[in-house]
Amino acid sequence: MNPLRMPFWGVEWAWLFYLLATLALAVLALGLWEKIALWAQGRRAAPVASHSHPLGAVLADVFLGRRIWQGGRTAGLMHLMLLWGFLGLFVGTCAVAVDHYLISFLQGRVYLWFSAGLEACGLLLVLGLMLALARRWLLPVPRLERRPDDTLLPLWLLAVACGGFMVEAARLAATRPPWEAWSFVGYGLSGLFPSAVAAREAFPWLWWSHALISLGFIAWLPWSKLAHAIAAPASLYLQGQPLAVLAVAAEEGDLAALGLRHLLHLDACTRCGRCVEVCPAAQAGEPFSPRDLLRRARRQARLKYSPLYRLPWLRGRRQALLERDRAADWEAAWYCTTCRACLEVCPVQAAPIEMIRKLRAGLVEQGSAVPPQLMDTMEKLFRYGNPWVAKKGAKAGWAQGREIPDLNKKGAEADWLYFVGCTTAIDTRAQGIARALSDVFIHCGVSFGTLGKKEPCCGDIARRLGEQGLMEEQIEATQALLNKQGLTRIICTSPHCFDTIKKVHPLFSEEGLPLQVLHYSQMLHRLWQQGRLIFDHPLPIKVTYHDPCFLARHNRLVDEPRDLLRAMPGLELVEMADHGLNSLCCGGGGGRMWHEIPGQANLAVRRLEQAASTGAELVVTACPLCLIMLEDARKTGGFEDKFAIIDLSELAARALGLAATDREAAVNP
Amino acid sequence: MKILVLVKNVPEVAEAELEIDQGALDLEDLEMVVNEWDNYAVEEAVRITEASGGEVHLMTLGGEDDEDVLRRGLAMGAHAASHLCDEAFEGSDPATVARIFAAAVKGGGYDLILTGVQSADLGQASIGVLLAQELGLPHATMAIALEPSAGEVVVTRELENNTSEKVALPLPAVVTVQSGINQPRYVSIMGIRKVRKMTIEQIEADDLSLAEDALGAAASMVASQSLVLPPMGDGAQMLEGGLDSVCDQAAAILREKGGLA
Repeated sequence: MNPLRMPFWGVEWAWLFYLLATLALAVLALGLWEKIALWAQGRRAAPVASHSHPLGAVLADVFLGRRIWQGGRTAGLMHLMLLWGFLGLFVGTCAVAVDHYLISFLQGRVYLWFSAGLEACGLLLVLGLMLALARRWLLPVPRLERRPDDTLLPLWLLAVACGGFMVEAARLAATRPPWEAWSFVGYGLSGLFPSAVAAREAFPWLWWSHALISLGFIAWLPWSKLAHAIAAPASLYLQGQPLAVLAVAAEEGDLAALGLRHLLHLDACTRCGRCVEVCPAAQAGEPFSPRDLLRRARRQARLKYSPLYRLPWLRGRRQALLERDRAADWEAAWYCTTCRACLEVCPVQAAPIEMIRKLRAGLVEQGSAVPPQLMDTMEKLFRYGNPWVAKKGAKAGWAQGREIPDLNKKGAEADWLYFVGCTTAIDTRAQGIARALSDVFIHCGVSFGTLGKKEPCCGDIARRLGEQGLMEEQIEATQALLNKQGLTRIICTSPHCFDTIKKVHPLFSEEGLPLQVLHYSQMLHRLWQQGRLIFDHPLPIKVTYHDPCFLARHNRLVDEPRDLLRAMPGLELVEMADHGLNSLCCGGGGGRMWHEIPGQANLAVRRLEQAASTGAELVVTACPLCLIMLEDARKTGGFEDKFAIIDLSELAARALGLAATDREAAVNP
Repeated sequence: MKILVLVKNVPEVAEAELEIDQGALDLEDLEMVVNEWDNYAVEEAVRITEASGGEVHLMTLGGEDDEDVLRRGLAMGAHAASHLCDEAFEGSDPATVARIFAAAVKGGGYDLILTGVQSADLGQASIGVLLAQELGLPHATMAIALEPSAGEVVVTRELENNTSEKVALPLPAVVTVQSGINQPRYVSIMGIRKVRKMTIEQIEADDLSLAEDALGAAASMVASQSLVLPPMGDGAQMLEGGLDSVCDQAAAILREKGGLA
């Protein structure tokens, strides 16, 4: 007997099945249509650029779940089982349909291997689902939520898979075909039926319940978080889109007005919570969670733009939900330090950094939900070109007693512009960086100058706070000045200035000269490699290095500072629990340096607790904001007798025997 | 409700190094900002019209550059603005300024006229009151809450020691607004750009039905004689020596004066 499939074996009323299937497919289509309508709306708001991520990498991320493995092996295994189990069954079902309606090919050996393959996929799916449920209920993983659909969805899918096996088992028990062992799971289960007659009687009941559960699942698919099956690959494909000049949201203070890419991110998110696990604000107990922000944004996007919510009887509910979410967003908007830790671990590259910037931009335009301290900061930036003092020309004080060419002056020339930056130029602690660094440059014979009193703000703070107009003005003013003086080679003290000048300034300088922008650690690294920077003063101390977010995560600079530290004679480098790309933010980014949130947890204290457990005598960093935040936390968190905080530039100056005496006291705890 | 808000551009002096030039503050290195109290008044007016309709009209008296203060108010949500700008207005004392405003306001049909309690630069705290006098309108000062209704406004006035008084005034009326009545909104650069093209009504001396000798220094009874900066140095003690020595000295002084427990 030739083995072959038996469609609708012993089932009557096949027409009813077709009717229900049509219904289920209609609900599925409605869900897909709603999503597509939303995405189309997003495309009108902000189309995606043609540049996209290499397809091979996207496919590897999708089908191997690479980014999921990186966050944990159990999660990776679970996802792989679910993905391949589900995918196998989906392809199998399609093959059955082709076999049934188009070309019959499922017979003989092909059919046997096909059956066995589907058994394996089903088994994989069942095991994956059990693991998923166990991860939520038996060995709870703290980052996972337990919302109703988190449990219902795997249970439902489990019912689909187990139901399928039972249907098969009943059929095998009733007919006992000679090739039954190929369907090894169904064969194993067929023993549950006491007799062929019992199996035959149970079969229609099992078949119909399996059919109904499966059709229900199909209808639910696009409405559930399984929609990520479409959105996540798209989201991964669209990662690394070039930075765009952000258009100010038409709807002010409104997360709903998002572009296509962001809308895909929202549907790609399955609320796995890795972002919450690494978010410095969330971990410090602040009322902020990147995951919740995404969830609210998705709901808002639906409420606002879904064609379904235009139905008149949903309007009242829509308005009430929108108001509630808006209030929550307005509060959440200002906690983010833009440290990028969330994006680093997000399996689908959907974490909301860009969205928060958009949200802030909307709030700034709307005006009334901006924290007063930040209003003050932005006013200072606008009027005085710095976020610190209501005084013009405050940026040259640090250089007193040093002969540094002012590149505004006629005839002044230098190979490099040293862009000091607002904080380094003005804050008394951070000024030490500028002094040390200029001493090191002079020592190494680097030809450099500054813009002295006239140095503008590069626009980074306005960018992070969402003051788009101010950012544009500051960038344009900076570019105009650089062009006028013919300055194209720039060294920045702050990783923040570095990031903005390097990545955002080129978007605004159409005719501008191509810029070469370095962070000072890169410059020192070059000098060291060229043999121009030779550390000759022994520093027999144990240090640990705090990676600034904007060097490590945003610009992938983790080795350069460490190479320099290791080149210092006698120095021993030990690492904190979170380092490199996993660095823990000091809490000073995203404008939070200028914003004290009432009752805020001190993010920097958490960082210093990590530093303390390394036993280091010195915490080194390479960013003025980190330096200030950590220095403050050292004093307020009770670390004063444990270690000192120092900038890499200051340590370099010491290793060259150039340490300024006024910093000596701070360096020696 | 039609609301007029009088605003003024003033130099920001809190952290600046001040210099006197020919008896007046040298404005060269100073930034001009909206008078803090007037900013609260604009915000309050905009909030009233946002909640219950109407329009907000702004008015300032000053030089050409002072138009900025009107643009800022327009960006906050005011609907129209007038700029009183004429050399003939220069040197006016508060009573004369109030007379000029009164001439410009007449026939405007305003239900409510708001302005700050005082200006940050001169601190006379008199324009609102004098204007009410000129127009023959009721007035209330130091408002920390406004509840306008048909034909009436109830004003909560801030008094000493956290006490307050509620007064009711028939409309039209003049109210001077105290700081802290609200939290004024942020005005973004984009917001100011959006109102760049709005026309600001220009009012010169000739547009007002005022006699020539009722304007400027000639009409003023009060003239500024001199401006004096605070004397430097008194009360500051400079410590000399190295870092450790300076710290020890400072700690000793604090201990001695009872600053350290």
